[in-house]
Amino acid sequence: MTMEPDRDGEALAGEYVLGLLDGADRQAFERRMDEDDACRAAVEHWRQRLAPIDATAPAIAPSAGLWPRIEAGLGAAPAPRQAAVQALSPIGRLQRWWGDLVLWRSAAFAGLAASTLLGLGLLAALDRAGRQPVMVAVLMTEGNVAAAVVNTFADGRVELLPLQDIAVPDGRALEIWTLWDRAVGPRSVGLIDRARSVPLRLDSMPLGADQLFEITLEPRSGSPTGRPTGPIIAKGLTARSL
Amino acid sequence: MAVHAAQGHGIDVERALEACASGDKNALRRIYDQECPRMIGVAQRMLKRRALAEEAVQDTFILIWRNATRYDRQRGAGLTWIYAILRNRSLSILRDERRLETDESPVAAEVPSEEEDPEAVMSRLSDGEALRGCLETLPAPRRSMVLLAFATGLSHGEIAGRVGMPLGTVKSWIRRSLLALRECLR
Repeated sequence: MTMEPDRDGEALAGEYVLGLLDGADRQAFERRMDEDDACRAAVEHWRQRLAPIDATAPAIAPSAGLWPRIEAGLGAAPAPRQAAVQALSPIGRLQRWWGDLVLWRSAAFAGLAASTLLGLGLLAALDRAGRQPVMVAVLMTEGNVAAAVVNTFADGRVELLPLQDIAVPDGRALEIWTLWDRAVGPRSVGLIDRARSVPLRLDSMPLGADQLFEITLEPRSGSPTGRPTGPIIAKGLTARSL
Repeated sequence: MAVHAAQGHGIDVERALEACASGDKNALRRIYDQECPRMIGVAQRMLKRRALAEEAVQDTFILIWRNATRYDRQRGAGLTWIYAILRNRSLSILRDERRLETDESPVAAEVPSEEEDPEAVMSRLSDGEALRGCLETLPAPRRSMVLLAFATGLSHGEIAGRVGMPLGTVKSWIRRSLLALRECLR
């Protein structure tokens, strides 16, 4: 999948760094960056070339409340270092994650603390579903921590089960999205005030393997535009359960 | 003082990010102390309103903290990584979250910052900067488009409106300017 970026690729990377790719183009490009080292290197190069422009911005003293607000939003420590892997495609991340699950299971038997809780949480979540889901999506944070699972059942039910607490600032909420076709774009399937189990409303939307689910941070009443606007908390692709 | 701290004598940002990855909040604070004012300036050039700029910076520091384990110094400088997060966050506030409400917020404390003039940005680039020399080789209207896009976050369509040219022309001029800059900066 890696190739020498051609002139078009270089120009496209430049347009991305200038902020000129929008919507579907931007998402498609970011997906390509995930998979293509040369593309990512071209982007990095453009960022370095253009960085001096950012250095011309005026320095503006922050208001006194800014740091306390940041500190309040930090929550727990970042994902442990061993969970950090180089950026992989979403599918690659998922495979990697399944690999980690085996580790977590053995860790659970060994009685180790941190990863045990997560592993047990997941097993309990799968168990709580009562029966085997048809498909499962594990939603991972950027730090490669499993934040939630989406289970889909033969009768069409779909549910989200959080695996860990997610810090939600005041006035914000978590919105859950699914994407089955880039041409259609992501559709909202749920809005929750905090991390809790929730049935997702897919109604007549299609549902298949390799379908993206993601959680973003949005205003309390949901995204004002009907599309994800806030930072992505976690995302993952559906896969048929064994 | 238009010195990018990457080339200056600031803290070791790469080390600070690695310390963040192992849970050291003081390291995040060191980055904040050094970079926050410039970051607000960058965000405010795009978002105009001070409160939105601070919101973008707040989100950025939280994202830095949460994603510090993904930072890899083999892949690039720490400051480049931080400003990429800031720019992405500012752009998505600008493009996707452009507030639908227009008048409900009192704007007294949120006077829009002065419109950024591309030539003013140009004049603040340090003389020794290779980028400045290369931008100077471009005809002024083309250089303005690149600067407007990067500094203020204008879209193709907004730039076309600003300079009064067809969208297709703007797109191809920017594309050609990028390729010329790449050649020049090789």
